[in-house]
Amino acid sequence: MNLSTSLWDARKTELELPEEIDLQLEMANAGSRTLAILVDLALCGMVLFVVYGFTALIMGDRTGDFISRIGGHILVILFLLLIFGVQWVYFTFFEWIWNGQTPGKRLLRLRVIKVDGTPVSGIDVLLRNLSRPIDTFGPMGLIGLLMIFIGRKAQRLGDLMAQTLVIHETAIDWSIFDEIKSPAGATPGSAIRAPAIHLTSVQWELLHRYLNRRENLQADTRQRLALSLYESLKPLVKGTDLELSPLPPEDWLVELARRT
Amino acid sequence: MSMTLGVFVRKNRPHWQRLEAMLGEIEMRGPRKTSRTFLQELSALYRATTADLAFAQTHYRGTTLLLFLHQLVARAHNQIYRPHRFSFRKASRFFRGEIPQAAREHLQAITWAAIVFLLGTAMGVSAVQFDERAASIVLPTPILDSIYSGHMWTGNIFSVVPAPVASTFLFTNNISVALLAFAGGLSFGLITSWILFQNGFMLGVVFKLCANYGLLGALLEFIAGHGLLEISAIIVSGGAGFVVANALLNPGSYSRKDALAAQGRSAVRMAIACVPALVAAGCIEGFISPAAFPLGFKVSLGLALSGVFWAYLFFTGRSARVGPVKAAPTL
Repeated sequence: MNLSTSLWDARKTELELPEEIDLQLEMANAGSRTLAILVDLALCGMVLFVVYGFTALIMGDRTGDFISRIGGHILVILFLLLIFGVQWVYFTFFEWIWNGQTPGKRLLRLRVIKVDGTPVSGIDVLLRNLSRPIDTFGPMGLIGLLMIFIGRKAQRLGDLMAQTLVIHETAIDWSIFDEIKSPAGATPGSAIRAPAIHLTSVQWELLHRYLNRRENLQADTRQRLALSLYESLKPLVKGTDLELSPLPPEDWLVELARRT
Repeated sequence: MSMTLGVFVRKNRPHWQRLEAMLGEIEMRGPRKTSRTFLQELSALYRATTADLAFAQTHYRGTTLLLFLHQLVARAHNQIYRPHRFSFRKASRFFRGEIPQAAREHLQAITWAAIVFLLGTAMGVSAVQFDERAASIVLPTPILDSIYSGHMWTGNIFSVVPAPVASTFLFTNNISVALLAFAGGLSFGLITSWILFQNGFMLGVVFKLCANYGLLGALLEFIAGHGLLEISAIIVSGGAGFVVANALLNPGSYSRKDALAAQGRSAVRMAIACVPALVAAGCIEGFISPAAFPLGFKVSLGLALSGVFWAYLFFTGRSARVGPVKAAPTL
C-alpha cells in the first residue's frame, strides 16, 4: 500500500480567491454528469408523459362536448410548451434559480460555477445550455462527452463559451475523526509513558478511517486491511517500544492511534 | 505537525458545521430574506473557515478534511460574492441597451446570414424552374397536392387546427430553429449555414411553385402579416451563430477559447432578441394570416412589425442612460 498518494484521485481544478487562497475543487466526471442529465430528462419525461396521457385521453373523445374540446386544446398547447421547455428552458431555469444546480445535479451533488470560482449568472447558464443541441442531446452528446474526457477542466463546448465548469461536492465522513473505541482486551494506561509517534496527516486519516470503520467490515477484510496497514506503518515506529510489541495487527494499530 | 488532525477537527468542527447549516439555509431562501445578524455571523464564519483552510493547506495536505474545507469555503464564497440575481434596472438595460448594441456590433455577420438565406431562396427558385419535382424534396405531399390543384394549403390546415394551438406550435418551432441557428455557430457555422440555406430554399421553392400555379397573390397575402418578421428573426439569429463561428475560425489575437467566450456572450443577445419577435410572428401566423382580414391590414401589420424590429436593433440603445456595453469582456 502506498500511503503517499492523495486520497482522492479525481481531477482537481485550482481557483484563486480574493482571500489569496487557491481553492482546489473536484471536477465532476463524465459519468456523474451524464447520470445527472439522465435524471433530469427522466423527470421531464415523466411530466411530459402525464400531460400527454391526459391530452390523448381528452382528444381521443371525438364526440366530446365544447368544454372538453377546449380542455383538449389547452392541454395540446401545454404539451407543446413543455416540449419546448424541456429543450430550451428547464436547464437554464434551474441552474439560474438554484445557483448552478438542476434537480439531477442536486441529486448527484454537482454544481456549475464560473472558472474563477464565482457563482454563475443568468447569461452564463443561458450560454452553456443553449449549446446543448450541439454537444449534449442525442448523437451530438458524443462531442460533449469527448470534450469532458480529454479537456483539462472537463469543459464541453457550452462550458467553454460560458466560461463555466462543473464541480462535484463530496460529503465528508466525520466518523473518521471520532474517538477510537478500545478493543476489549487492550491494556489502558500504557500510552501515558510511551513517546509520541509522528504520522503524516494522510497516514493519520487512513489509520483512523480504518479503526472507525472496522466494526462494519467483514472479518477477513478486517484482518487483511489491518495486516496491510500494520506492514506499511511498521517502519515509522522504529526505536520505540511498539517496534517489538507482540500485539496482533489490529490492537497494534489501536495502540499506534493512541500515541499520535 | 503542530496540531494533530484529530485535535484540529474536534476544535473547529462545530463552526464548520454551523457554516454548513447557514449555507444550506441561505441557498434555499436567498440572501434578501436573511437578517443582518445572520449575514454578519456568516461572514465571520467564512473568514474563520478561510483561515482554517489556509492552515490545513499547510499542515494536512492530501486529506479528505482539506477537500471538505475547500468545498465549504467555495460554497460560502459563492454566497458572499454572488452576483445580483435579478433587478429590473439591469433587465431594462439589457433589453434597451445591450441587445441593440450587440446587433450593431455584428452587422457584418447579420449581412452574411442574409446572403446565405437569399442564396438559398435563389437556389429554391431556380431548382423549381429547372425541374418542378425538386419541390418534393422540401415540401410534404399534402401541400404539393394542394398547390397542384390550384388551392392554398393554408385553408385546409388552419380549418382543422385552432389558431392558439397553431400559433403555439409555430412559435415554439421557430424559436427552436432560431436558437439552433445560434448554437450551430459552435459547429464552425455549418449547422447555422444549413438552417439559413434550408429556410431560404424552402421559401424560394414555395414562391416559384405558387407562381407556376397562379397562387402567388394568395401566398403573398398569407405571408404578408408574419413573413418579414419571421425571416428577419431567423437572419438575426443566424448572424449570432456566425459571430460564434467567426470566433472559432478567426480568433484574431485572442486564443480560440477566449474569443469564443467573449463573442458568444455578445452574440447570445442577438438570439434573445429573436424570441419575442418570433412569438409575435407565430401569433400573427396562427390568428391573423389565415383569417379574412383585409390585405392592407396584413401588409401594414407585417411592415410595421418588421420595421419596429429592425429599428429596435439599429437605432435604439444609443443614449447615455442605457450606457455602452463594456467594450470587450475581460479576457
